[in-house]
Amino acid sequence: MSRGAEAQPAAGVGVARVAHFATVEQQRHAAVLGIWAWLVTELLLFAALFLVALILRVQHPEAVRAAALHLKFWVGAVNTVVLICSSLTMSMAIAFSRMGWQRAMVRAMLATAALGSLFLVLKGYEYYADYEEHMMPFLTVRPYALAETPATRLFVNLYYVATSLHGLHLFTGISILLGMTWMAAKPGFLSRHQNWIEVYGLYWHFIDLIWILAFPILYVVNR
Amino acid sequence: MSGTSAIDSGIAEREPHIPEPTLDRPADYLHAQSTLRSWFLTTDHKRIAILYLASITAFFIIGAVAAGVVRLALVVPNGAIMTNDTYNKAFTIHGVVMVWFFLIPSIPATFGNFLIPLMIGAKDLAFPKLNLTSWYIFMAGALFTMVSVVLGGVDTGWTFYVPLSTAFSNTWVLPALIGVTIVGFSSILTGLNFVVTIHTMRTPGMTWFRLPIFVWAHYATSLIFLLATPVITTALILLIMERAFHIGVFDPAHGGDPVLFQHLFWFYSHPAVYIMVLPGMGVISEIVPAFAQKKLFGYRFVAYASIGLASVTFFVWGHHMFVNGQSDLASLAFSVLSFAVAVPSAVKVYNWTATIHKGRIRLDTPMLYAMGYIGLFVLGGLTGLYLATLAINQHIHATYFVVAHFHYIMVGGTVLAFLGGLHFWWPKFTGRMYNEAWGRISALFIFIGFNVTFFPQFILGYLGMPRRYATYPPEFQLLNVLSSAGATILAAGYVFPMIYLVYSLWFGKRAPANPWDAKGLEWETTSPPPPHNFLSLPSVPPVPYDYPIQERETRSQHR
Repeated sequence: MSRGAEAQPAAGVGVARVAHFATVEQQRHAAVLGIWAWLVTELLLFAALFLVALILRVQHPEAVRAAALHLKFWVGAVNTVVLICSSLTMSMAIAFSRMGWQRAMVRAMLATAALGSLFLVLKGYEYYADYEEHMMPFLTVRPYALAETPATRLFVNLYYVATSLHGLHLFTGISILLGMTWMAAKPGFLSRHQNWIEVYGLYWHFIDLIWILAFPILYVVNR
Repeated sequence: MSGTSAIDSGIAEREPHIPEPTLDRPADYLHAQSTLRSWFLTTDHKRIAILYLASITAFFIIGAVAAGVVRLALVVPNGAIMTNDTYNKAFTIHGVVMVWFFLIPSIPATFGNFLIPLMIGAKDLAFPKLNLTSWYIFMAGALFTMVSVVLGGVDTGWTFYVPLSTAFSNTWVLPALIGVTIVGFSSILTGLNFVVTIHTMRTPGMTWFRLPIFVWAHYATSLIFLLATPVITTALILLIMERAFHIGVFDPAHGGDPVLFQHLFWFYSHPAVYIMVLPGMGVISEIVPAFAQKKLFGYRFVAYASIGLASVTFFVWGHHMFVNGQSDLASLAFSVLSFAVAVPSAVKVYNWTATIHKGRIRLDTPMLYAMGYIGLFVLGGLTGLYLATLAINQHIHATYFVVAHFHYIMVGGTVLAFLGGLHFWWPKFTGRMYNEAWGRISALFIFIGFNVTFFPQFILGYLGMPRRYATYPPEFQLLNVLSSAGATILAAGYVFPMIYLVYSLWFGKRAPANPWDAKGLEWETTSPPPPHNFLSLPSVPPVPYDYPIQERETRSQHR
């Protein structure tokens, strides 16, 4: 993970040791292991949700198909591309941080946050289009479009739970990213906290990965 | 503050009008600072452990009072003492509070927090601020749930089974669920902190096979925290959505599946049993060698058995659903796997017993608890095999046999280990010795009271009394009265330590660094330890549990 950074330590790039660690190396190792452990629990959080979605498919294949046809495939597909691009800009931010190019790094981080926000905007549009089409079965005030096939409700509702949970992660991610960009723009940041960028990058890629799993499971299979 | 700076400059100067006799020794973590802020914003793992200790003790008292209410109601067969509604709410408070807010955080969040850095020779956990955050998340979630179960009342039991919890209950289920979900994140963060700490913060020379079993047990527990808790979070989120918006995932009327909830629930909640049990096993593995003055028998086997239990426990959740329409093949597989749990459990019990064998045994308070633990755990574990047997399970499923079984594990196991560990490390935590005579008396009270309370329940269950009912046939009254009478003895056993331990804080004898002649790095530092744990870097002995008496065979211990 941080192998590249060790190979060519650029000038002015490094990590300041916090008192309770014995060495900087120990501190870096702890940070990376910590975020991986967190990602494992996040993966299981979503895994349980995807498992429920797949069980519903097996139990009600036709109803799930009818519901999946109502999802906005192209919005989902565009969003997938948007998130993959944001992972690219995040990787660039990490690479710049290792080289000590602070200004380029900050710009790459801002681009990442912008792409993440674009995803949320498109997702919001998608929810709105669903609302217009009466595809929100949990709203009691609004008659549901596929009322004659009750099992579709399950899948559509699960779609909202999964995508909103992912959206919440993305929103949190963007907020942290913007806060960190604000700090990272200050002089001397890279000499003290370069590993923050690497650790955060792992989280961002993970959010991307979850969407890459969610998109086929919710939109593509059974289509 | 002035004391700290005097130590820093190496001069024992102090102003003459302040009589502060402890200043000529280094300030310990309890006295380094004394403002409220220094407690509630501390990042010292030892102080956070004390915060947890105080909060879970409060929850334990609430849960115990609720248990008392339940036992009071069951003194008469016809439910004349309180309404069925009150009874349902009381046993829900008991279950929710004891499981989610006492047993799960009990040993890891208090002793684990305090001792893991000491045992591995570190200054703190890897992420001290995260550690404090865990406590705040725990308190926020727990108080949220407490308000809803105590003020509003919830009648679903601690398992929140659908469709009762989603469609039928008119009580405050939703806020209770939200609180429990929040508390889950506290568990995850604690587990994460422990895993990273044990991997990265060991002092030079502290190899994996020199770690105390307590640390191994907490490593295994933390893996369960990390891998199982997120699944219950998902299940609870779906349950919250189901109750709030009727999304239908668990509702058969919409094609959903109520058993799906049970699968998701027990995928976490069975491993959670080992979140409660494994740390207790770690505690016993420290107490037994210390009070037998003998090297722990089969160190590696005990260490591997911890990881073994943590692994097998992920594959036995289906034994909670033997009568719920699960396929016979699945039930058979879960039954066989549940039997497999007995193997690592037995490895541990045999190793403790072999450690005691020909040791120089001292029956001090911690050892009394440890021996009580071993006996009750054997009984609880063996009755678990009855329950894992498919045919017998049909007869005793959801009866008092199950209640007795898991109380032998949870109370006879975890609570005894908690109390044993509390007495064992009390001198280290507080720097004071408690009254030994009172300690032994209350250990005896708890052992007797516990057995009188719960042994009759095995018989009741076998005779067919179902759990969770407020009424029962009159012929069961004798055993129920016996059980309730035992609960009062048990309660006395809980009240004594609360009095003499608190008393010892001010009036107890000062504790030496190592009052029990125990091994382990935590005994190398002062009692109580200084803020950064060690005044000088401790040196790690080449073998763990290097007690005077050793077995002949030490084939692969030197590594």
